[in-house]
Formats: sequence, structure tokens, C-alpha cells
Amino acid sequence: MFGWTGNILRVNLTTKTYKKEPFSEEFAHKWVGGRGFASKILYDEVSPGTDPLGPDNKLIVALGPIAGIPAPNTGKCVVAAKSPLTGFYGDGNLGTRVSEQLRKAGYDAMIVEGQADRPTMIYIEDDKVEFLPADAVWGQGTYATNDWIYGKYGVGVGVLNIGQGGENMNRFAVIRSMEGRAGGRPGMGAVMGSKLLKAILVKGTHPIPQADPAAMKALGIGDLKKVHKLDQETGWSKQSTTGVLQFCNEVAGLPVRNFRKTQHPDAWHIDGERLNNARVATYGCPNCTMRCGITIHDDAGHESELDYENIALLGSNLEIFDLPQVGCLNYLCDEYGLDTMSAGCVLSFYADAIDHGATDGDFKFGDAIRAKQLLHMAAHREGKVGKLLADGSLRMARAFGHNSEAYAMQVKGLEVAAYNCKFIPGQALAFGVSPIGAHHREAWIITFEINHTTRESYGPEKAAKVIELQRIRGGMFEILVACRFPWIELGWSLDNYPKYFNTITSLNWTLDDMWTTADRIYSMIKLNYLREFPQTNRKADYPPAVWFDPSNADKEGPIAGKILELDKYDGLLQHYYDQRGYDNRGIPTKATLSRLGLDAEAAEAEKVATLT
Amino acid sequence: MKIKVKLIGPLIYETGFSEKDIELAEAPTVEAVLESLAISTTRPKIITRNGKAVAPHELLENGDTIAISPIYSGG
Repeated sequence: MFGWTGNILRVNLTTKTYKKEPFSEEFAHKWVGGRGFASKILYDEVSPGTDPLGPDNKLIVALGPIAGIPAPNTGKCVVAAKSPLTGFYGDGNLGTRVSEQLRKAGYDAMIVEGQADRPTMIYIEDDKVEFLPADAVWGQGTYATNDWIYGKYGVGVGVLNIGQGGENMNRFAVIRSMEGRAGGRPGMGAVMGSKLLKAILVKGTHPIPQADPAAMKALGIGDLKKVHKLDQETGWSKQSTTGVLQFCNEVAGLPVRNFRKTQHPDAWHIDGERLNNARVATYGCPNCTMRCGITIHDDAGHESELDYENIALLGSNLEIFDLPQVGCLNYLCDEYGLDTMSAGCVLSFYADAIDHGATDGDFKFGDAIRAKQLLHMAAHREGKVGKLLADGSLRMARAFGHNSEAYAMQVKGLEVAAYNCKFIPGQALAFGVSPIGAHHREAWIITFEINHTTRESYGPEKAAKVIELQRIRGGMFEILVACRFPWIELGWSLDNYPKYFNTITSLNWTLDDMWTTADRIYSMIKLNYLREFPQTNRKADYPPAVWFDPSNADKEGPIAGKILELDKYDGLLQHYYDQRGYDNRGIPTKATLSRLGLDAEAAEAEKVATLT
Repeated sequence: MKIKVKLIGPLIYETGFSEKDIELAEAPTVEAVLESLAISTTRPKIITRNGKAVAPHELLENGDTIAISPIYSGG
């Protein structure tokens, strides 16, 4: 078997034991890697009803056949677990040297189970695994922790670590790596914290098994140069993702004031042009030649790395239009190890709930100083308010009552990414049917909707586009594992990815094989969801109710008086279900599951839920 | 006729400005705006008029805002 090391590392923190477990060629071909491995392992090993913050939950670190091999943007790694935020399968990806080092150590994935009896770091060096005390860095932020690790173990070591947010089991705590950014929006950092696991360190010394290493080296390094040239020609990384802010503001899709508004005249203060002008340095993930991490000095003098999601959700959405202040909120999230997107939505919901009399409080939109204090409190679960914020916006809304759930900007418990869909039906669908909650990673169809369809349309072409993008973004890129940015941003052909895959594995896959695997994994995640919520119905795939409320329609601008219509959205949802082969609840039918080779998994689901 | 043109992302550096008011002959098209500013059409773009998608041959009106953006895949 080429392309896979053929081994998973299983580490138990309770017993301080570990073992190298081989997997079969059939398993590799069926699940490929990354999200595929993670969704299958968690389905098999974590029973429904398991406490996500208890010792029986498992943290998965999973890579794919092209991860860590020099080729465009292959420095990514998937982290997954049962989510403490959503209550079912959750995952995310981040750039990290772990992707290369873990594969060189001889593993395509690792499973962390149990719970340590004191703050611990797992140190992996090829076949050796050590359980090291982490007392020196417990209580420290992710920057200080990472620096301490580099000082002690060298900068070449791959690192995944958490900050105070994860330690205190904030439900939207992420896992961080200084060689990339952060991953695991649905609380993967909290799962690490619940296990008293501060960091995972990896060093590997073996070559990654490949069918034709010389051919792949020539292909991959040649393509890294081509991607770099394309980036220089297009100038994309001048602003990286942050050009999206101006675009969203122009087309009335920007989150402003907890998504109440879609545009703001002051948005330019925090846009990509201002960011580029203030740039201090540029960072990228391993194996990246179109680096997107732009840093600025924040108002406390820290170097803060910004992208679109955080300038929008910690900026315009909180009506804070001062770039150094937004930078500081972002820095604090990164230091505490909190998801910037959920943090922005949680704070905006809190301000909105106070505005609407759903709760008492002293936080107002535009108040950056109080926002910083609240982030500190949320990361440390400090006081009543800190505990409340740390649980995420859905639990906050249920605590507040007063119909505030209508404007808690989340789907299935995961906060909405930075796209205001009050009149963007296809993107609202993309959030609704994202298998892990309202993440933009799965499908982003705003350009398609505006450029190639009527924005008012709820037609089947939008459902088809969401599925097409899910297969590419949430599917292929999450199983291989690689970053999607060269594809649309630079026009890098998708055909390159089966080429890399085949050169490494000696298989002969086409993009269609990737799509079939992607569909299998989406169904796997849906079964995982069904087992946790056997009484589910299609309303779980509805976006926040405020997007259907006519009183929330814009008063002026390009979508004045327009708002999503519930019956039409429900029709669009049905198009999606029909095209996917899902039933009226949004669950894959038995026929669909059988077609995707999931009969055994279906039988397992039927022990606790009904399939049609 | 006065048209406001806004450029987004890397187009700013390619063209040398981010926002500009331009004077054009009566009833110009979007194509005419692109041509007058020497904006390359080799790479795909999304163009809006007052926040809504606009076709290249559409006639513009005095006071319109045209925004020109590269294609993004989100943040």
C-alpha cells in the first residue's frame, strides 16, 4: 500500500499507554484520510450519549495521503471529536507541521482517549511516545506555550496546543499551532482541555511511503512554484481573504450588529486595503506559496494575524471599526485559543440580547474595551457572565429565553461564519445543511448566486451548487488533506488533486471517485448526528429565524425590503434532500447508504433511530 | 455622466486606485467602464451595479456605483 503509512497511533491518557494499530488497504481506500478517517473512527468508537467533555470522548488527529508531502498547500491537518458545542461529530482543519511530522513518524492518524490525572503533553518521536508534565505551561496562552515548546524541543517539532479557553472547557475553544492558525471550531480545544492535554508534539524521521517519490517531488515542487507565480500575477495575497469584506459590504452580505444589518459606511476602516497598509509580516502554513496570514500591531502592541472571518465577526458584527482594536480582540482569541468566529457571534448576541431586554448586562455594540474583558471572562469561565458566554450562543439563548434563540446566530449550535444571508438563499442553505453546523468551509456559493442566478431564486440549481461545493471543499480537500485556496482564488485546476493522489498511491482515481468518497463521508456524519438526535427533523437544517423575519429586512440598499421566505427556503431544502438522496428529515435513506457502502453503519444507526 | 467605480482586493494594486469618480459619455455600458480604466478582463470577475449583479452590456445611469471584484471562495 503506497500513500499511507498504514498505521494509526492510539494513545490512552488514563493508562499512559499507546499502541501502533495497522489499518487495511480497504479501510484506506474507503475513507482516504482526514475527515474520512475521523468520522468513521468516532462513529465506531464513541457511543451516542457520551459526554463530550468526559474521558470516553476521543480526539482524532487525522491526515490524508497528500498531507505533509511538498505540493500546493498540503500542510493541513484535521482535528475531530464529539463536539461539546453541538453534541455530535465536530471537526476542523489547521495548518501545522504536525501534518508532515506525524506521517514521518509513521502514522496517518492518532486517537487520543481517556483523561490524564495532571496537565500533560504527549511527545511522539517515531515509535516512542512519552507522557510529559505540562505544569510549566498550564494556564498559559497558546503563544507562550508554543514558544516554550520550541525553546525546549526545537522549532522543527510539530505542535498542537490549547490556551486557557481549552483548559477551562470553553465550548468554542480551538486547537492552535503557531505554524498555521487554529482549527476545530466546534470545541476541539475544550476536548483537549477536558483530557488535561495541553499539547501534542511530534517529530518523525522516516520517509512518507509513496509509489513514486521522485515523480511526486518533481510534480509537487514544480507546482508549488507555479502556484507562487499565480499568486504574484493575481496579487491575491496583497489582501488575502480580507478583500471579501468590501465585497460583502457592497452586495449587502456583511454581518453588522449581530447580523441585523448587511452594510456599514465605516466598514472600509477595517478592510483589506487598510490591513495591507498596516501589515507587519506575512505568515503561512507549511507547504504554502500563497501565504494568507497578514499581521498588524494591535492596540496593545501585539502582532495579530487577521483574516476575513475575524475582521468581520470581531469588527463589523460588533460595530468596532478600528483595526488595531479588532486586531486586539483577534489576538486575545488566538492567545486564549478561542474560535474567533464563534467568539464574535457570542459577543454580538450578548449585546443584541441586552438591547432587546432578554438579559441584563453592560455590553454595547462598539465597546471594544468591554469586549476584551468579556473574552477574558469567557476563556476563563470567570463569573456568571463568563460561564454563560463560554457555553456558546445557543445555550445562552436558552438561558435568556424571551425568544432570543431567533437571533442567536447559529445552526445546530455552531455559530454562523461571516456571511449575512438574510437575502442570500443559497448560502443560507449552505449553512443549514453543513454537516457540522454553520461553517462556511463546506460550501460558499455567494459569488455563484449573485453572478449566475437570480438572488431571489430558490431553485434546484442552488441546491446542486451547494452539493458540488460540499464535495470539493468539505469532501476532497478534507480527506486528502489540503487547503482549498489555490483553486478559486488563483484558478488552480481541481484536476491537479487526483494527479497528486495517484502519483503518491499508484491508484487511478478520478474526481468522480473523490465525489463518491465525499458523499460517503457526509452520510457518515449525518448518521453520527442521527444517533445523537434520533428525533431530529428538517427544522434542524433551518438557519436562524431572524433571517425570515420581515421586520429585520434592510431599510435601504440593494436588498431593501427583502428577506428570506420560509416556505421557499423549505422548498430549496427539499431540492437538496432530493438531489442528495436524503429523506424528509435530511437523513440519508437506506438506499443511499447502501449505494455508498454504508450498510453496516446503517444497521448500527437503526439500533437507536429510524432509517427510511 | 458621473459613475463611481470601486475596485476590490488585488484589482486595487493592478489598476492603481481603489475608488474613483469617472465622467463618461451618455449611457455607457459596464464594458465601456472597464475599457476606459484599462481593467483586464482576462481573469474572471464579479461586477455589481449599486450592489446588484450587472451584465457587461447593461446601460448605466448617472450616479451609479460599479464595484469590480475578483472571484473569491470565502474567507
